[in-house]
Amino acid sequence: MEVILAFGLIIALLIVLGSGLWIGLSLLGVALFAMQLFTSRPVGDSMMLTIWGSTSSWTLTALPLFLWMGEILFRSRLSSDMFKGLAPWLNRLPGRLLHTNVIGCTIFAAVSGSSAATCATIGKITLPELKRRGYPDDIAIGTLAGAGTLGLLIPPSIIMIVYGVAANVSIAKLFIAGVIPGLMLATLFMGYIIVWALFNKDKVPPPEAGTTFAQKIYESRHLIPVVSLIALVLGSIYSGLATATEAAAFGVAGSLALAAIERSLTWTLFKEGLVAACRVYCMIGLILAGAAFLTLSMGFMGLPRHLAEFIGSLNLSPFVLILMLTGFFIVLGCFLDGISMVVLTMAVLLPTVQKAGFDLIWFGIFIVLVVEMAQITPPVGFNLFVLQNLTGREITYLARTAMPLFFLMLVAVLATYFVQDIVLWLPNHM
Amino acid sequence: MGTFASKIYRGMMLLACISMLAAFAAIMLGVVAREANWDIQGLDAYAGYSIAAALFLALPETFHHGDHIRVSLLLQRLPDRFRVALEYWSLLAGLSLAVFMTWYGARLVWVSYVTHDVSPSADATPLWIPQITMLIGCAGFALAFADALICRLRGQAFFAENSASNFE
Repeated sequence: MEVILAFGLIIALLIVLGSGLWIGLSLLGVALFAMQLFTSRPVGDSMMLTIWGSTSSWTLTALPLFLWMGEILFRSRLSSDMFKGLAPWLNRLPGRLLHTNVIGCTIFAAVSGSSAATCATIGKITLPELKRRGYPDDIAIGTLAGAGTLGLLIPPSIIMIVYGVAANVSIAKLFIAGVIPGLMLATLFMGYIIVWALFNKDKVPPPEAGTTFAQKIYESRHLIPVVSLIALVLGSIYSGLATATEAAAFGVAGSLALAAIERSLTWTLFKEGLVAACRVYCMIGLILAGAAFLTLSMGFMGLPRHLAEFIGSLNLSPFVLILMLTGFFIVLGCFLDGISMVVLTMAVLLPTVQKAGFDLIWFGIFIVLVVEMAQITPPVGFNLFVLQNLTGREITYLARTAMPLFFLMLVAVLATYFVQDIVLWLPNHM
Repeated sequence: MGTFASKIYRGMMLLACISMLAAFAAIMLGVVAREANWDIQGLDAYAGYSIAAALFLALPETFHHGDHIRVSLLLQRLPDRFRVALEYWSLLAGLSLAVFMTWYGARLVWVSYVTHDVSPSADATPLWIPQITMLIGCAGFALAFADALICRLRGQAFFAENSASNFE
């Protein structure tokens, strides 16, 4: 019964989204009708209370501020400088500057705990530069979509904190456990770019003139502003000066200061950056509000819990269980954001998982990996929405460009299943 | 109503920008206050309210600018007759949802006011004050939908730059 209901809702959501209704409103509308039909709670009042609660929280402030930082960097000379500095080093590597997507996202993921902020900030810098230099759109956008999800896996990560609390495991150990899989995934993505570039030599723009080592070092001076910004943000977190949320404000202050130092900070730049940040955040915020209410509505209907109970009752072998859960979370990812998925299902799933003999730290990383995959799966994938805003392309096109990266993540999930030490070695040796 | 309504959207956007700046200032002040051992109550909550205000007050102008995203796959490929029908459906459904949100937003503000609901954190702000920004934002959103619908009926363009790419 619940399975039929779940599929009914997916189809309803697909139809409403496909009809061209704005995405945030589609989520709100479907949640509204589902709640009205299947529960007896006061729909309108719970809706506005949930929207208010989810949009006025202090932890959420990091997202708009990081978006603002991206808008400032995009308008100053900082982003093109970063490319000037990196270009000589990446000249020899097949795929050249395409690697900036992966490297940028990996570093930024260490600063921010959210994949939307990672994808938007790095994309705002890399996509225009890559386009200007003649790199093809599909590979530039696809690798960004994949690499953007690293925000969840590389600490600090909000979703790991939530899982750690729900499963009662050490959050510090979870953070450490995420490091190797995160780097492995980044390596896989870069490997994919290299292989793609070897097969598509004609599509990669020609290399810039060869440079000596001394010249490379000299060109690297362009990296100083970006590196100092990253150092400022990371430093503010790890010195204890700022929390992970407050670090975003440091990022804004730092990027404004850098723009001022290089004399590109004008009133127009400030104003345009601020207005653009408000617009992007408003777009994402409306979808977040819709997702929050859809989550509440599903929770009242008991849908995630029933589905999780259903899986638990099947008595599957560990491997089939993991495959089934992968599918389960990707389907749930059509409605819910990652954190809500963890909150709504953990209580029911954990006994099943423990009975099957899985380490709970390992399972946490598994969940984060699968949630990452859900971020780039249509119809509801947050990174795809961020990219749609960034590029103006169709969501189906974006999903297609992200497809190879999706399969690489699937490979990563299987790898961590067969070699669980990828996850567990580091936390066990600390 | 076109130009008058556009002024309202822009005015609300200005307030949204100020709210974003306020959130930034509140967070920075919080860091400074902690380092300097000042005791300022409830800055975290103020940052949260400001960021909510920034989101809701920006709704109409973001909509007007064509920045709220949608799946336009069908809209672009269908023959004209169906496309027009889908456009009316989207605008009508959007208008109904925005009006619904405004109505219940007003109820939330009213309930917070009569029950003297205050913030649970240290600031103890009466919640109806920050919640009013959500109400105003939703009302503006509904106005923008009505505006877009009227423009559609008259065959005028409403969206400033229709889903144009942001990075070129």
